[in-house]
Order: sequence, then structure tokens, then C-alpha cells
Amino acid sequence: MLSLAARSGALSPYLQATNVAVNGSLKALLPGAVKGDSLLKSSSKTAPAISACVSAPGGIRMAHTDIKVPDFSDYRRPELLDPKKSSQESSESRKTFSYLVTGATAVVGVYTAKTVATQFISSMSASADVLAMSKIEVKLGEIPEGKNMTFKWRGKPLFIRHRTEKEIATEEAVDMAMLRDPQHDKDRVANPKWIIVIGVCTHLGCVPIANAGDYGGYYCPCHGSHYDASGRIRKGPAPLNLEVPYYEFPDDDTVVVG
Amino acid sequence: MAASVCRVGSTVGRALAKARSPILLSLRRGQATVTYAQSLLGAPETRLTALDNGLRIASEETGHSTCTVGLWIGCGSRYETEKNNGAGFFLEHMAFKGTKKHTQMALEQQVESMGAHLSAYTSREHTAYYMKTLAKDLPKAVELLSEVVQSNALSEADIEQQRSVVLRELEEVEGSLQDVCLDLLHATAFQGTPLGHSVLGPSQNARTLSRQDLVDFIRSHYKAPRMVLAAAGGVTHEELVGLAKQHFSGVSFEYEDDAVPVLSPCRFSGSEIRMRDDDMPLAHIAIAVEGASAASPDIVPLMVANSIIGSYDITFGGGKHLSSRLARLASEESLCHSFQAFHSSYSDTGLLGIYFVTDKHHIDDMMHWSQNAWMNLCTTVTESDVARAKNALKASLVGQLDGTTPICDDIGRHVLNYGRRIPLAEWDGRIDAVTPRMVRDVCSKYIYDKCPAVSAVGPVEQLPDYNRMRSAMYWLRF
Repeated sequence: MLSLAARSGALSPYLQATNVAVNGSLKALLPGAVKGDSLLKSSSKTAPAISACVSAPGGIRMAHTDIKVPDFSDYRRPELLDPKKSSQESSESRKTFSYLVTGATAVVGVYTAKTVATQFISSMSASADVLAMSKIEVKLGEIPEGKNMTFKWRGKPLFIRHRTEKEIATEEAVDMAMLRDPQHDKDRVANPKWIIVIGVCTHLGCVPIANAGDYGGYYCPCHGSHYDASGRIRKGPAPLNLEVPYYEFPDDDTVVVG
Repeated sequence: MAASVCRVGSTVGRALAKARSPILLSLRRGQATVTYAQSLLGAPETRLTALDNGLRIASEETGHSTCTVGLWIGCGSRYETEKNNGAGFFLEHMAFKGTKKHTQMALEQQVESMGAHLSAYTSREHTAYYMKTLAKDLPKAVELLSEVVQSNALSEADIEQQRSVVLRELEEVEGSLQDVCLDLLHATAFQGTPLGHSVLGPSQNARTLSRQDLVDFIRSHYKAPRMVLAAAGGVTHEELVGLAKQHFSGVSFEYEDDAVPVLSPCRFSGSEIRMRDDDMPLAHIAIAVEGASAASPDIVPLMVANSIIGSYDITFGGGKHLSSRLARLASEESLCHSFQAFHSSYSDTGLLGIYFVTDKHHIDDMMHWSQNAWMNLCTTVTESDVARAKNALKASLVGQLDGTTPICDDIGRHVLNYGRRIPLAEWDGRIDAVTPRMVRDVCSKYIYDKCPAVSAVGPVEQLPDYNRMRSAMYWLRF
């Protein structure tokens, strides 16, 4: 973490000349022992070249022992500021802190990456105007009781019928055993006053006529399927009840279908 | 030529077979007569006594006709400050330049006439003055040593003269890149602490240290409780104690103002220092983590671990059959010129590392495989690795003690570090107790996921960034 780089520039001739040969025998690494000179091999050490080195221009280092490791106290963690305290005690907590921060950053980073990626990919899905076309909002106040209104929705006719009390009671009283596709009225409406179905005959796809047929509901002229006021098939070739789409009432006067 | 050799050989063989001499034909021919275990137990005991002033005397009587006797002092560059860093080294230079009783000439004459060798060394925590001489010259040797240590002349003229010698030596040591690299390693690993000081001291101090500085240094550190008079060879302990009483009773044991120098712990900093010079042919690189202190119980497993990594030199002939995995790689891929695993331990800390010398194109690979070897030690070291390393370590411990001087040095350092001499039998027992699990645990404690200190000298462009080296101190696969 803490680096110090130094060039030995002008001392390189000294260093080169002495270490080209490979160390044949490894010196045992005693803890920093420096063998002193013994009397028998008193060296003929004189000082010819020293003065030249010493008075050399600044920037040339005399010895590696002159290298001062800078004081990095400004960058140390507080528990490591005291040089007289062993660093072992705090090592556990320091590592935990670093790894937690790294881990948390990694998790946050993954989520960020996922978010960015999904944002780009989901930009390829249907745009808002297309999605808007998939819903229809209808003001229910404009439909009088007993009346059926037809709307174009997702390319298909949508029937919204304001049912009278009598019709509601009749439909709820119908016996399941008599139905080809047994469904109770309660299961087909959210609010019994309003029956909302898709106006496509389940036989072969014609559009039934409202307020027609023997059961007070719809009649399909193509092959004679009779539906009741709940859109259930009663007579005729159609196999299933009219489909009920997803709808919700944001308030009493409006319904959003889709 | 070959035919005549064969003929002679076969004749000799036939003669031997006819003679049926049991010694010549026995399977034990060429083997030692004493087993390893016996030799360990039979080693002479190191005896230890202390004088009243705290000076300790330790000796091993080996029965040689020569002996080595010396004074080991518990002081070194670690006790120096920025201002007097290098005083110990300077003092060592001054040691043989004459005492109050003998001039330099007289001193040299005395030593030469005995046929003795008088030497000294200074390290970060120890200083030693010792003499190798005939056993019968022990009294004279102790007398001269006591003079050298206690009544050094320290004349101003000699000090001035030695200044240039010290400066010259500083210049010369620049050529020994191993020393430069390891000095820089200490400087960066223990930056801001006394252990970061080099023994030699900066050149500025060599130029400005005065006689007073040296006298102060002696007065603060050459105290009897921190000294050991050690001897090995044909010496009797009683004689040595008598001589010590005679010459060393006067060594002071009190500090001025009761200012006892207490060693404070030294902070280890994971850091690096790069001295790049592309004109050098080889790069010298050392990477180390904080290791164990000399008295720590982890010392032996770490020594075994270092034996597993071992050492290598390009002149080794083993090639791909060398036992250390790193050495095999170094040989086959020509990764380096030499490497060695080292552990320098001090009284409360240490440096456990690998030092290697390589050319500028293999630094990255060598560093990668060195750290790989470390990771291996922490995770997957096997029974056979440990068994081989234990044997190698035992052999090297025994092999190092091959003479009175290494033995005397051993005694001196042990008494300073541990308070007693640890016999080979004890080392042997402790080494035997090491298991692979222990090696893994101890190595993980010191090496795994720790910030290393790195020093690099030479054409080191290829040395990876520190963050990469730090990341290689753990394995994600684990």
C-alpha cells in the first residue's frame, strides 16, 4: 500500500561490477548480522575515493541506509499511528472493516448494474402509448339502466350493461346444473349492477346482439346462441360463457378495463 | 587403463572375501558408531552461572584443544535512536584500535602471538566480541576481551580515522545486494520503529558521531545483566567463572537516573519499497510477513514450514527431483537464480519471508509461485512434506554446530534470548511434536490474509502491484 520508489542512477556502476556473478553459496540469513573486521584480516581500507563521493552534487545517495522511509502517519488508520504498539491486535478489526465495506459496495454495485441493465433492456418492450391503448376508461354515468353499450377495445367489441335489480336477482337465482358452462353470477361480476363482457361469441366468433334472445341477454344471429344477462350460454351451439375481461373501478363512476 | 583398474579391483575383492574380515564386510562399515538419539543425549551439558552483578557465564566443555570465548551483549541497532543509529557499529570498529592498557600495536601483538582470531559482530539486538584461541590461552583471552569491552581507548584520532573506514564500508555494502534488500525490508516493514534502523547507520551519523556519543552508548547499554560470557571448547566452567570474577566483576549493573532502556513493541507495517535500476542484471526481492518472536512456541512449526519451502540455487544439481516444490518449479521453469525461506526473530516480533534473486523476466512468476507455496503451507501441506522437513531441519540444526565458534555463538545468543541454552535434544523433541495440522494452523496464523512487506532492488518493473501481491495472500477457493 505504501510505496517508495528511488533510482540509484549514478551508483549503478558500483552495483553492477560487484554482482554479476551468481551467488554460489547462499549466506545464512542471520537477523541483520554484520561481521566486523577481525584483527587478522585487517583491511587496507584507506579513503581515496570517499571524499569525491561525499562532495558529489546532491541527488546521489551515499548508502542505502540513507534512504528515509517517509512518515505516512497522515494516511494511517488511527489504531496504527503509534509505532510502539503491535499491529497484530487491530488486524482482525481492520480486515473486517475493509471486507465489510468492500462487500457492501459490491452488493450495491451489483444492484446498480442490474438496474441499469434492466432499464436498457426493458426499453425494448412496449412503449407507453401502446400500453395505453390496451386500457379503456368508461364513464358509467352515461349508461342508463337496462342499456348495453358497446366499445371498441383491443380490436374487439366490449359490452358494458347496466343491469336492473330484477335482472340481477334472476341471474343470481339460476341453478348451476342447468348451465353448460357453470359459473355463478357472483363470479362473473365485481359489482352486480354492471356486467362487462367481451362481445365475441364463443362458438365461432360473431358479435351477439344485445337485448335479444330468450334469456334477456344476448343473441348471436350466426348460429343461434342465446346468452343471459350475465353473459352465460343457455341455448345454442356455443360451448363457453362470454369472456369477462379484467376491470377495476377507480371510483363509482368510472371503470378501467384491461 | 580401465582393464587394469578392473583387474586390481577384482583382486582386492577376492582378497577381502578370503580374509573374511568382519569389519570390512559388515553392513555397518561406514556408519557412525553412535546413533543420532545417543549423540543427542550424550552432548555435553551447557553450564550456566551468574556473577553478583548479573553477568552470566555459560560454557560447554567439548574437549577440543581449541576454544572460542566471547562476550555477547544484549544491545544492538534496536536500542539506538535516529541520532545515534550506527553507534554500535562504529563502536565495533573502534573495538580493536587499542585499549587503556594496550595500544593497537600491543593488542595486535598479543593476539597474534597467541595465534588467536579476535572478531566481533553487531546485529539488531545482539553485539558480540569473541576470540578463537587455544584452550590453554583462555585466561589471556578473557583478559583481552574484558579490556576491549570495558576499557576501550576511544581516542579521537582513531575515531576520525575510523570514520572514513565506516563510510567506505557503507559504500562497499551497496554491492552486497542481499544485505541491501534485507535492510530495506526491515526499514519498510518496521518503519518508524527502532527495528527499522539498519545496523550500519546512515552516512550522516558516521560523519558526526563523536567520542561522547560512543561513551554514552557504552554507559547506557554495556551493563552486566545484559552480558553473557560464553565459551565452548576445551574449557572448564570453574576456570571460566574464576576468570570472569577476576575481570568482569567491575562491570556496572546500574543505570544512570534509573533509566533502564525498555524495549517497546515495534509496529509492523504492510508496505513495499522498490529500488528500481534497470541497469542491474538481477533483481533481489524479499517478501515477508510479521513472524514469531524468538521465545514464541510457534518458532519450531515455523522453522519446519521454512524447511518445507527450503532454499535453492541455480547451481543445485537436483533439477526436477529436488524435494521442495518451489525448488522444482524454480529449476524446471528457470524461475530464479536462488531463493531461500527465512525467519528472522527478535525478542518480541519477527520477519517470516522468502528472498529470491531472479532476472527481470521471471519476477512475476517467481512471486506467484512463492506465494503459492505459502498458501500451500496454510492449506494443504501433507504428512510427507512435514516428515521430510523435520528431518532436514534436524540435520541442519546439528550440522550448524560444527566447531567451537558456532557452538559458542549458539550459547551466547540462546542465553540472551531464552535465559538458558536450549539443548539439541530439546529442539529434537519439539520438532518431533510438529504435525501437519500444526504447521497449517501456525502458518495460517502468520501468513494467511496478512499484509506483507516487500522490498525489491534491481530491474523490478515486472514486480506486481502491491494490491496484487496482497490478494495472493489468500485463496478464494478456500
